[in-house]
Amino acid sequence: MNTVDEILDFAIEREQQAADFYSSLADRAQSAWMKEMLLSFSQEEMRHKGKLKSVKLGDRLLKADQHVQDLKVSDYLVDIEPTADISLQDALIVAMKREKAAYRLYSDMARTIDDPELKQMFLGLAQEEAKHKLYFEVQYDDQIMRDN
Amino acid sequence: MSLKDLISPFYVWQRAFEKPYTQKRPIEDRPGAPRYRGFHMNSEDCIGCGTCESICQNRAIDMVPVEGLEQRPGDSGLRPRFDYGRCCWCALCVDICTTRSLHLSNHYAWVTEDPDAFHFTAGTDPMPWNENSLGYRRDDDYHLLVHDRIEMEMLGPDESVRGFDEVMKGYTEEQAVLEADRCVECGICVATCPAHMSVPDYIRSVRKRDYETGLRLLYETNPFSSTCGRICTHRCETVCVMGYQGDPIAIRFLKRAIVDRVPAERYREILGDDVSDNGRTVGVIGAGPGGMSAAYYLRRLGYGVTVYEAQARAGGMLRYGVPSYRLPDDQLDKDIDYIRSLGVEVRFNTLVGRDVTFQSLLDTHDAVFLAVGLNQPSALRINGEEHPRVLSGLKVLDDVANGLDPGIGRKVAVIGGGNVAMDAARVSRRMGAEVTVLYRRRIEDMPADPDEIHESQAEGCTLVAQAIPVEIKPAASEAQVTIVWGEAEMVADDKGGRPRPVLQEDRMHEETYDCVIAAIGQGGQIDFIPSDYREQIEFKWNKFVPGDYQQTGLAKLFVGGDIANSRADAISAIEDGHHAARGIHRFLGGSADA
Repeated sequence: MNTVDEILDFAIEREQQAADFYSSLADRAQSAWMKEMLLSFSQEEMRHKGKLKSVKLGDRLLKADQHVQDLKVSDYLVDIEPTADISLQDALIVAMKREKAAYRLYSDMARTIDDPELKQMFLGLAQEEAKHKLYFEVQYDDQIMRDN
Repeated sequence: MSLKDLISPFYVWQRAFEKPYTQKRPIEDRPGAPRYRGFHMNSEDCIGCGTCESICQNRAIDMVPVEGLEQRPGDSGLRPRFDYGRCCWCALCVDICTTRSLHLSNHYAWVTEDPDAFHFTAGTDPMPWNENSLGYRRDDDYHLLVHDRIEMEMLGPDESVRGFDEVMKGYTEEQAVLEADRCVECGICVATCPAHMSVPDYIRSVRKRDYETGLRLLYETNPFSSTCGRICTHRCETVCVMGYQGDPIAIRFLKRAIVDRVPAERYREILGDDVSDNGRTVGVIGAGPGGMSAAYYLRRLGYGVTVYEAQARAGGMLRYGVPSYRLPDDQLDKDIDYIRSLGVEVRFNTLVGRDVTFQSLLDTHDAVFLAVGLNQPSALRINGEEHPRVLSGLKVLDDVANGLDPGIGRKVAVIGGGNVAMDAARVSRRMGAEVTVLYRRRIEDMPADPDEIHESQAEGCTLVAQAIPVEIKPAASEAQVTIVWGEAEMVADDKGGRPRPVLQEDRMHEETYDCVIAAIGQGGQIDFIPSDYREQIEFKWNKFVPGDYQQTGLAKLFVGGDIANSRADAISAIEDGHHAARGIHRFLGGSADA
C-alpha cells in the first residue's frame, strides 16, 4: 500500500468483510433477537464503510487528533468462537475484539511507515477503530454488566 | 378678636416648607423592614408539590402550569400563583414549604396599570423583588413538618445473620399512624411509581386506620401489595418531598402496614372481586409478578386465565431470587393465593417449548401475555471461569429457596453490585461464610437497593468497590479457587452515561476463596417462539420492545416484566401486567378504561 487511496481501499474492504461476517452470522443465528442484533452490527460496519468512502471522495477528513477512551474491557475477556447459538454477550465480545484487532493493525502500520501523509491516514483509521471498539465496550458495560 | 387669632391661620404656611412626615409613594421609595412580610419569591428549588396551596387558609394560592416548565419525575411542573386580593401575608406557605424555595420579600408596594397583575406566579413572573435578599424566611429551627421517619423495628445484624427470619418487623399501628401523619399528600410520588399507585390516598387510610379502604386502593393498581410492602424498589420515596429536609415518607412500609392488618380470608369480601366469565381465555407465560398481575386484572375482567409456569411454585424471581429474610414465603403466598382464588389456573412444571408449544397457546387462547423474566445468568467470560468453585448467584439463591445446600464454603467472594449479588452475599453470611463483594464501580453506583447495601455491610459483608475480576485460577486445594482482580479508575462518559471503570494493570490483587459467586446480570430466554413469529416482533438488545398496551407486532402477543422493560423490578412488572390486561381487553373489543 503506497498511496492514500490504496490504504482507504484496504480499509473499506475490511469494513465490508466485517459487515459480511456479521450478516453471515446473523443468517445462522438461532435466536431472533440475536439475528437482529447481528444485522445491526453489520449495518454499523456498512456505516463505517460509507464514512471511509466519503473520505476517499474527499467529502470528509479523517482526523487522528482526538483522544478515544480505552475502557480495556476486551483486554481481560476470553476469546469467543462465533457459533449459530451465539449470545448477545458473546457477540459483543467478538465485536469488541475485532475492533481492537483492527485498531492494532492500523496502529502498527502507522508505526512502521515513514511517509507522513500515509502515517496520518493509518492513525486516522486506527482512531476510527478505537471509536468503534469504545462503542461496543460501552454497550457491553450497559447491557451485560448491568449489575456489575 | 385678638391679633393672634387673626393671623393664626397663616401659621400653617410655615409648615409648608418643612419636610413632610408622610411618604410620597410611589415617587419616593421607602424600604420595608428587613423581616417585613412582603411579596412572595420562589426559587428554582420549587418542585411544585403544592403544599403551600394546601395550607393557605385564604385560598390565595393556585398551582398553575408555567410555560417552558415540563412535568418530570419529582416535579409536577406546576408553580404557585398568588392572588393578592386574598393573601394576608401570614407566611404559613413559607413555613410549610417542603423544599424551602418559597420566601417573602420585604417589598410591600406595587403600583401597576395592569388590573390582572394582582395575580402573579412567584419566581417565574419577572418581578422587581425576585432577587430580594431581605424579607421573611423560615428560621432553621422552626418546623411545621416532622422530618424524622418513624423507625421500624428490625433484627440487629448479629441476630439477622443467624437465620432467615424476616429482618424488618413491620410498624405497630401507632407507629404507622405517626408515619402516615408526616405525609403532606402532595402526590409527587404517584407519577414516579411505575404502577402509579394512589399513594396519598392509601397513606390517608393508614392515618384513619381504615385498612379496608386502604386495601381496595392498593389493589386498584397492585395485586402484590404484601410483597411490595416489603421489597419494592420504592422509587416513590426517592422523589418524596419530605426527603428534601429530612427523611422521605416510608411509603413502602405504610403499604405493608395496610396488608399486615387485613387477614387473607377477608380479601374477597373487602375487594368485592366477584368475577364472571366472559367466555374468552388468555394464556400467561410465567407466574412471576408480571404474569400474575396480568392474570389478576384479566380475571377481574371476566377472562379465563391459564398461567404456564416452569417452576413448581408461583412467584418467579420473588420466590426463587428474593430470600425469605426479605420476603417470607407466606407473605408472597398471601398475594398469589388470593389471585389464584379468583379462578386463575396455574399449570406448574410446564415449560413452554418443552411441555407445551408456543403455537398451541396461540391456538388455544384469544391472547397471550408473556412475562418470563430474566433468568439466565450472564457469564463472567474471563479466563478460568469454568472452575467448579465458580457458582452463579441465581443458582445459589434458587438452591436456598428450595431448601438445598448451595455448598458455598466458609470464605466467599461475590462479584456484582445488584440485588442478586447483595442477596447472595447476605445469604452466604447466614450460612456462616466470610463474604467479600467485588464490584467494578463505586458503591454509590451499585444498582442494588441502598437498604440492602447498608444491611449487607451491617451484617458483616466486606464491599470492595472499583475491583475488576480478570481471571480465575485453580487454588492449592481443589475445594478452593483463586480470583485475580485489578483496581479500577472511573472515567466520565462523554455521552452522559454512568462513569465507566477502567482497569489499572499495575494494581492487581489475588485472593483465594472457597467459592466465587458471579452475579453480574441476567438475560432472558425466548427461543420457544418460532422464528416466523419472532420476525414480527421488535427487539432491542436482548429485550422486547412492546408497543401500546404492551402489544407486540404479533397481534395476539403482549409482553411485559423484566424482559420488556429497562427497570427490571417487581413493581414495573406488575404495572406491565396491569397495562397489558387493559390492552388485551381493548384488543378483544372491551374498553381500555377497564
